[in-house]
Amino acid sequence: MTDAAAPVETRIAGYLAGKLGADDLRLRDVQRIAVGWSHETWLLDASWTADGVQHERGFCVRRDPGNALLREMSDLGVQFDVLRALEATPVPTPRAYFFEPGVDVLGAPFLVMEKVAGVCPSPWGSDGRRFYEAAAGRGVLPGSFTDALVAIHNVDWRAAGLDFLGVPALGTDFAAREIAKWRSLIDATGIQPDPVLTDLICWLEANVPSTDRLVLVHGAYRTGNLLIDDDRVSAVLDWETEVIGDPMYDVAYVLSELNRERTELLSNIVERDAFRRRYEQGTGIEIDDDACRYYQLLYAMRSAAFWMSATGLFASGRNTDLRLARTAWSIPVVLDNAARALGY
Amino acid sequence: MTVTPHELLAQMASTFRHEIGPAVDEPFAKTQAFMAAVILSKLAGQLQAAEADAQAAGDERRAVVAALRARLGSACPARLGDALTDLGHDGSDAAWSRLVGSLYAERDGLGADEFDALLGVVRSALRARLDRALAYAS
Repeated sequence: MTDAAAPVETRIAGYLAGKLGADDLRLRDVQRIAVGWSHETWLLDASWTADGVQHERGFCVRRDPGNALLREMSDLGVQFDVLRALEATPVPTPRAYFFEPGVDVLGAPFLVMEKVAGVCPSPWGSDGRRFYEAAAGRGVLPGSFTDALVAIHNVDWRAAGLDFLGVPALGTDFAAREIAKWRSLIDATGIQPDPVLTDLICWLEANVPSTDRLVLVHGAYRTGNLLIDDDRVSAVLDWETEVIGDPMYDVAYVLSELNRERTELLSNIVERDAFRRRYEQGTGIEIDDDACRYYQLLYAMRSAAFWMSATGLFASGRNTDLRLARTAWSIPVVLDNAARALGY
Repeated sequence: MTVTPHELLAQMASTFRHEIGPAVDEPFAKTQAFMAAVILSKLAGQLQAAEADAQAAGDERRAVVAALRARLGSACPARLGDALTDLGHDGSDAAWSRLVGSLYAERDGLGADEFDALLGVVRSALRARLDRALAYAS
């Protein structure tokens, strides 16, 4: 047990020293990022001596604050297991070092993983748009973006031991499971769904597509969830909505207008035709546009559930960040897109 | 002079936007101050339009109930009839959702064309509701 009154940096240092067998561990360049919305994250560099050898390593620490978005569906222990399973695959991910399920060290469960070189600009701001526009122009990142998704979909998930995520039956089971999962998040908010959302859910349930191929699906594959270093994807992040399922679920998200701003480039970096060619060539999977249109409506349901969850967190007093309250007005925008796609 | 609630909220929003927000240095607190301004502005707009919106919503709701009852006549399935009765008294999201859900549940019995026609009537009203909500969304 560590001193709960000590600063978080001190407690992290003590924990790492114990895990690494070091009695002279020092931290530097400690940065806290991602405040408020999701897991709390610290980036830091450590140096220590063990067995007479000097070590230097960068770490990323993610703590579950207990009131983050998607907390009902996102378990740091599962993220740890997924990252561990992916270490032996070509998918670029941070190495996962330690998972601490208890509350003694940092007051909440946390995950320690590799600090990977790279940056992760938000695609929604002007700085991020400029970053991706410039990278797209240099020509390397669009291919790397596509190749990282190809690598995920080509993972032999059974061999990697990822079947603990749950394996749907071939056919309509996958989409039905996803609808049920996100519906449960909506139910957990305690907020009555708008009838347009009810219409959307009923439509999704009545038109579930069939899939004859199951892959590892990231579930939120876009810029902003990828580390970029030297114009290449150095790590795929945010393993919070991954699932074994239909590859078109990820492809639909890439093709969606949700993930780009003021550009025709998918996810702000890749031309549609170039993405299609490279993806199909890399995976041997033909893109099914009808399935993608369906999954884009499922993403609309997800978005509505996400914003309802955010609103509910604030309304219940579990999170006092006013940005969460603001998301109540994001729900009609999402539902407007869905209503138009449904024909009204 | 009487200050209406929406005017009060609008003025509070202005204070947060022009006085409190700029005076706060700490980044998170500053963001919160400006976000408070955004939220109060939206609430002020919604409060100002609440009476007119409620009137429009009530008119649309009654029109939908009448149109569906007229179209279905005595062939109205019991579950759908119950949902229409509920909506006749109650314009909540829950009552609208019950109507939508019962339409989908009766889809096979209604037949595709009739289902589409009935859902189209409901969707016209939902479109109008959504448009009113969108007036404050952006």
